[in-house]
Amino acid sequence: MPNIVLKISLQELCAQEGITETMVIEVVEHGIAEPLTGDDYNDWIFESDSVHWMKKAIRLYHDLDIDWVSISMVIDLLQQKDALLKENERLKSQLDRFVNGGYE
Amino acid sequence: MEFKDYYKLLGVEPDADVKTIKTAYRKLARKYHPDVNPEPGAEDKFKEVAEAYGVLKNTETRAEYDELYRYGGKSRNGSQPPPGWQGGAQSGGAQSDADFSDFFNSVFGNRGGGFQGYSDFEQSAARGQDVEVEMPIFLEDIVADVAKTIEYRMPVFENGQVRDVNKKLKVKIPKGVSDGERIRLKGQGGSAQGDAPSGDLYLHIRLVPHPMFDVEGHNLLVTLPVAPWEAALGSKVTVPTLTGKISLSVPPNSQSGQKLRIKGKGLPMKNGTGDLYVIFKIVIPENTTDESKALWQSLSEASAFDPRAQWEKQNA
Repeated sequence: MPNIVLKISLQELCAQEGITETMVIEVVEHGIAEPLTGDDYNDWIFESDSVHWMKKAIRLYHDLDIDWVSISMVIDLLQQKDALLKENERLKSQLDRFVNGGYE
Repeated sequence: MEFKDYYKLLGVEPDADVKTIKTAYRKLARKYHPDVNPEPGAEDKFKEVAEAYGVLKNTETRAEYDELYRYGGKSRNGSQPPPGWQGGAQSGGAQSDADFSDFFNSVFGNRGGGFQGYSDFEQSAARGQDVEVEMPIFLEDIVADVAKTIEYRMPVFENGQVRDVNKKLKVKIPKGVSDGERIRLKGQGGSAQGDAPSGDLYLHIRLVPHPMFDVEGHNLLVTLPVAPWEAALGSKVTVPTLTGKISLSVPPNSQSGQKLRIKGKGLPMKNGTGDLYVIFKIVIPENTTDESKALWQSLSEASAFDPRAQWEKQNA
């Protein structure tokens, strides 16, 4: 069975995702992703979940030609939207169970 | 092959200056960028717009395009290639041209790697592509800690060509995953040319809606229907959990919407287990016999209960 890794290092990220160190530093400085550990950036380790958002941020940086502050806002809003959609789905399902008896 | 009207795609006049073109591109890119617009078709639209902008922002490529454009405009025949049109000049590169239209490739395709189109990620040599796959999981599977088989399509390099193949993989879902999380499987993504490493596979965990339970973080919620007398007098009921049935005491004078927490009957976390919340829902029987009607009647006469007492206070 393949090995599941829940973490990714800065070096792996840069070597494998085609992302430069400078970009990762920008992304971290603007709070788009947060390293789990590491004081020095050479020791940075990220949660594999944050790779998705990092890639998104870097794509937006290139494609929309906007600055990092705007990108961090976009990412923040996208994450908020995701969370709200999920909450809305759950509340709808709960309400439905309460009013109609759910998935009967 | 269709002639692409890049000016029309961007919604600008053919004599528009660079600034106008840039503004038009930015506006459309914001609207259609697949990272902000999940609608189907948005990505294709974005690629078209990015291709148009990629050609028009550069004086050299724009001049070249304008020559074709002038001819295309005169003949008013979109499908008629102008003279000197180098149809079929595609460079065999299977990699970076894939995202551009045939039209683009036939005009600018022999340009090699010089042109930077959209998403100009640094192409790290030829590492395989990362693949992200949605992985639906049943709540029962999370609790049972079983291995799941996933099937997905991924790009593979073969004789210099990229081809999508089906792949099957058995995966043990790590303990404590939550809805929406992405887990990484190193080297299970698209293969690369030569010795370059394969990409990674990312599984996007999606919890399948359950007929009984809702999920809130690592806690589970279940709505428990109770009879009015069960709620009023209290009772012992059987409640389902993901790991089997348990017995629960409904306390006397329970209200609709009231919650009871059952510790440790939720979803597993990285350390510990979430809880199960039982929410009471008082249900009135639909068919009333004469006998029970009489009982309700005497209850209503004996009781001084006013469910709308709060309203009276507010309106007074």
